[in-house]
Amino acid sequence: MHKYFALTIFFIVFRECIEAIIIISTLLSLLKQSLGQPGQDRRIHCRIVKQLWAGVVAGIVLSIIIGVTFAVIFHRFGKNLWAKAEDLWEGIFYAIATFFITIMGLGFLRLNKSQEKWRVKISKALVDQKRKKGVWAWLGSWAARYVMFVVPLMTVVREGVECVVFVGGVSLGSPASSYPLPFLAGLLAAVAIGFLMYKGGNRLSIQIFLIISTSFLYLIAAGMLSKSVWSLQYQHFQKKVGSDVAEAGDGPGSYDVRQTVWHVDCCNPETGRGWDVFNALLGWQNTATYGSVIVYNVYWLFIILLVGSLLYEERWGPLPLKTKILGFLLRVPVLKIYVRHKMKANIGHQEADDLVRQVQEHLREVHEGQQGSEDIFVAQESVGGEMFEMEERRGVTLTEESVARI
Amino acid sequence: MNLQTLISIRNICAIALCLWESSAKTVTYDFNVTWVTANPDGLAERKVIGINGHWPLPIIEVDKNDRLVVNMYNGLGDKDTSVHFHGMYQNGTNSMDGLSMVTQCPVPPGSSITYNFTVPQNGTYWYHCHTDYCYPDGYRQALIVNDANAYFYDQYDEQFTITLSDWYHEMMTEIAPDFISPYNPAGAEPIPNAFLFNDTMNTSIPVQPGKTYLVRLINTSAFVAQYFYIEDHTFDIVEIDGIYTEPTQASTLYIHVAQRYSILLRTKNATDQNYNIVTVADQVLLDVVPSHLVLNHTNWLEYNSSAPKTQANVTLDIVSGLPAFDDFTLVPYDKQPLLPDPDYTINLQVAMRELANGLPYAFFNNITYTRPDVPTLYTVLSSGDLATNAAIYSQYTNPFILPKNAVVDVIVNNADTGSHPFHLHGHNFQVLARFPSYGPSFYAYKSPTSSGVSYDPNNHPAFPSFPARRDTLVMPPRGYFVIRFIADNPGVWMFHCHIDWHLEQGLAATFIEAPLELQAQLSIPADHLAACEARGIKTTGNAAGNVEDFLDLRGENKQAGFIPYGKFTAKGYVAMGVSVSSACAGILCLAVYGMSDGKGGKKSGGGGAGALVTSREKLT
Repeated sequence: MHKYFALTIFFIVFRECIEAIIIISTLLSLLKQSLGQPGQDRRIHCRIVKQLWAGVVAGIVLSIIIGVTFAVIFHRFGKNLWAKAEDLWEGIFYAIATFFITIMGLGFLRLNKSQEKWRVKISKALVDQKRKKGVWAWLGSWAARYVMFVVPLMTVVREGVECVVFVGGVSLGSPASSYPLPFLAGLLAAVAIGFLMYKGGNRLSIQIFLIISTSFLYLIAAGMLSKSVWSLQYQHFQKKVGSDVAEAGDGPGSYDVRQTVWHVDCCNPETGRGWDVFNALLGWQNTATYGSVIVYNVYWLFIILLVGSLLYEERWGPLPLKTKILGFLLRVPVLKIYVRHKMKANIGHQEADDLVRQVQEHLREVHEGQQGSEDIFVAQESVGGEMFEMEERRGVTLTEESVARI
Repeated sequence: MNLQTLISIRNICAIALCLWESSAKTVTYDFNVTWVTANPDGLAERKVIGINGHWPLPIIEVDKNDRLVVNMYNGLGDKDTSVHFHGMYQNGTNSMDGLSMVTQCPVPPGSSITYNFTVPQNGTYWYHCHTDYCYPDGYRQALIVNDANAYFYDQYDEQFTITLSDWYHEMMTEIAPDFISPYNPAGAEPIPNAFLFNDTMNTSIPVQPGKTYLVRLINTSAFVAQYFYIEDHTFDIVEIDGIYTEPTQASTLYIHVAQRYSILLRTKNATDQNYNIVTVADQVLLDVVPSHLVLNHTNWLEYNSSAPKTQANVTLDIVSGLPAFDDFTLVPYDKQPLLPDPDYTINLQVAMRELANGLPYAFFNNITYTRPDVPTLYTVLSSGDLATNAAIYSQYTNPFILPKNAVVDVIVNNADTGSHPFHLHGHNFQVLARFPSYGPSFYAYKSPTSSGVSYDPNNHPAFPSFPARRDTLVMPPRGYFVIRFIADNPGVWMFHCHIDWHLEQGLAATFIEAPLELQAQLSIPADHLAACEARGIKTTGNAAGNVEDFLDLRGENKQAGFIPYGKFTAKGYVAMGVSVSSACAGILCLAVYGMSDGKGGKKSGGGGAGALVTSREKLT
C-alpha cells in the first residue's frame, strides 16, 4: 500500500485538480453567457474558447515541467538527508501533512460554494487588470486581449505548483514508486467530478461523495498526526537505545514500555500484511503511546469544534466574540491590512452579480467590437468608478456584512 | 650469618611450626583499598581500584591448610566494597564469603573488615569485590593455593599464572546507569574496550627448553569468555576450579568468566623460535563488535629473546561452534563417584526480559534477584526456628532451603539465547549433564526462533560414573545442565551467573543450607556488624528488616511487574474505545456540515456549474 499508493497524494492531486477544473468551468460558463448567446458571433466565441484551452494545455505543460524538476531535486538531495533518521523525518512530514490536509479538507465540503467564490474572484481579477498604468498598462492591454489564455494558464500553473509543494511536503517519506498511481487516480477522479459538476449532475450524490472522501481525508490526517507524535517518540527512544531496537522486532525491547498504552505482538504495520493499509488510513500502530492516543483524540476534538463553529456561523452569524476580536485587530497596525483585505474579498451577493455583469459586458465590448485600447480604458474607468461609488454608498453596512462573511 | 644459614634456620622453624600447628601457617594481607590510575592497554588511562597504592593487585598465595587473613580498609571514599574469595568453600566461616547483602554488609568508605578463614583446599582461585558494580573497576586478582601433595607436584619444574580479563575504559559508575536503563530494554551488555593478559598486553613469558611448567589460567573478566591456545603446543589439564583431574591432553581451552584451568605445559627442546600464546575473546557474547575492538591477542612463550615474535593468524571458527576441550569429559583425580540420587531438586529456568518499569532484568523462574534489606545470613541468624521458612528471606531473593547433608540436584534450563557461566558459592559440584555440549553443535539452539531443549528427568543421557567437578559451569544457549552436590556446608550460598552484568540484572538464587546448624556454629565478628552500622543497614530481621514478625514482609524490595505483552489490557481497550468514538463523532460533524448546503438558513444559492449557467442566463 505504502509502496505503490500514497493516499495523501491522491487526495491532494484530486483536490488541486478539482479546483483548477472549477475555475476553468467557471470561465467557460462566463464565456458562454457573454459571447455564446444566440445571435452572437459564433466564431468569436469559438476563438476565445480555443484560447482558453490553449491556456489550459500550456499550464499543464508548465506544471509538469515544474513538478518533475521539483521531484528530482527533492529526491536527489533530500534522500540522504532523511534516510538516516527516518522516524524523525516521518514525524515532521506527518505533522506538515496533517496541517495541509486540515486546511484544505473543509474546502472540499464547500466545493459548490467555491464555484461562486471563483466566479467573483475571476471577475474581480478581470476588472482590476484594467486599472494598471505605464508598462503594466501595456501589459494589461495585451493581457486583456488574451485574458482567456492568461487566466487559465495562471490558474493551472498555480494549482500545479501548489500540488507539487503539497505532494512534496506530504510524501517526502514515501518511496518514489508510490507517486504515479495515486497521482493518476486523483487526476481522473477530479476530471470525473468536475465533469459531473459542469453538467449539473446529481448534486446530492456528488455531495455524498465529497463527504465520504473528506471523512477519509480527516481520518488520514488524524492518523498522521498521531503517527507523527509516535514517530518522534520512537525516534527519541531509538536514538537513546541504539542499534538494539530494530533487532528486537515486535518483542519486548522494541518499544518504550513506560509510554505504552497498548502493545500487541501482531499487526505491526512495518511487517504485517495488510496492517500497513490500516496504518496509512487510520494511523494504526501495534504500539500505542500516551502521546499518540492523546493527540489523536485532541485532533478530532479540534475538528469537531472547528466544524461546529463554521456551522454556527453559517446558521446564526458570527460567533459571539468574533466581531469584537476583528474590531480589535483592525486597530493593530499590521494585522489591519490583512483583516481589511479579508473583509474586502467577501463582498455581498448583489455586488457580486453586478461585478459579473460588468465583466460580461466588458468581454463583449473587447471581443465583439475589436475596439482599440482607449475604449477599453474608458470602459474600465467607468467600471472602476461604479465600483467605488457602490462601496461608498453601502458604507458601514458593507463592512458589517463583510465581517460576518469572514 | 649468611643467607644459607638463615634459610635453614627458617626451615627448621617452619618444620617446627608445622609440627606444632599441624603443618599450617597464617598468611596475612593488609589491603588498603584506594583509587589509583592505570593504563594497562595503552589506550586510556583510568581510575582503578588499587590495593596499597598499586594496580595490578597482589596475587594472594597460600599453601593448602593455611589460615588466610585479609584486613581490608575501604579508602575509596566514594564506593562500597567487599572481597569474595572465589572458590573458597568457607566451611564453618560463611560470614567470610564476602557477598554484600548476602553474607555481610557492603563496607562503606572509611570502614574496615577482616576476613579470616582456613584454606583446606588446593588449586587455582581468585579474589574479587562482590558488591554492586565493583570488580570490573579492577578489583580482582588471582588467589593461588599451593599443594605440595598434588599428584603432579613432582612433574613440573616451575609454575606461573595467567589471568585473562576484559577491560573497560569507563568507570562502573558511568557504565551502570546506561546499562540498567529504559534505553537498554534488551539488556545489551556493555562492550569491553580491550582484553588483558596478566593485566597487560603483548607480554613474553620466558621459558626454558625441555622443562614442564604448571600454568594456572584464570578468567577474571566481568563479561567475556576467552579461548586459549599455544601454537604448536599441547598440554595436559590437571585441575579445574580447584579440583585435580586425571591428566588430559588438550590444545584449546574455552575459559569463561570465573573459570580456572591448570595445565602442565612441556616446552620444546629447541630454542630457535618463540611461540604464540593466543587468546580469542568470544565475540558470540557481544551484541556488536566495534571495529576498533581487538578480539585476538598474541603473547609469547619466549624460548629465545632474540628470535622474532610474530602476530598469530587466528583461524579458529568460534562463531558456528565452540571449538575447545569439553570440560564435561574430565575425570576428577580423586575419582569421586556419582553421588546418589538427590534428596532435594531445584529447578531453575533462565530468562532475560524487560519489566514494566522499562528496565532489563534476568530471571530464575520469573524472579529477578532483588536485594533484601538485611543480609540473608543475618536473617538466618536472627530468625530462630523460622530460619527454615523460605518466606522470611523474600521470594525476590529466590531462596531455597537445603536440608543438612541432603544430596541436591540443580537442574537449570536456559530459555535465553546467550551462554552463561553459573557459579555456586561454598561448593564444587558434580556436572551430571549438559546439552548441547562443547563442539560444533554448541550454538545449535541459539537462534531466537528455536524453542531450545529442556532437561527431561525421565529421558536423559546416562550420568558419568565419575562426573567432572567444578564451581563455575558454562550453560549453553537454550540448553540445560544438571549439577549435584551434598549440602554439607551450612551457610548462605549464592548461585548466580558470573557475568557481572547479569548478576546486576538479578540472575541469582540464594541457597540457604542447613540454617539451624548454621545458627549453632556461627557468630558474626564485631567488625562485620560495625560495617553494617556505618552503612546504616540492619543486622537482624527478615528480608524487609522486620524483627517483630519475621513472616511480615511488608516493605520488602520487590521486582517491577511483568509487561502485559502481546494483548490489549483494560487501558488499551479504553484508549481504543475513546479514539474510535471521537473519530466517529468527528466524521458525524463533517457529514452534518457537508450536507448543510453552506448558506445556512438564508436563501439558497450557488449550486453546480449548471445552476450557475442557468441563473446567469436569467440575468442577461
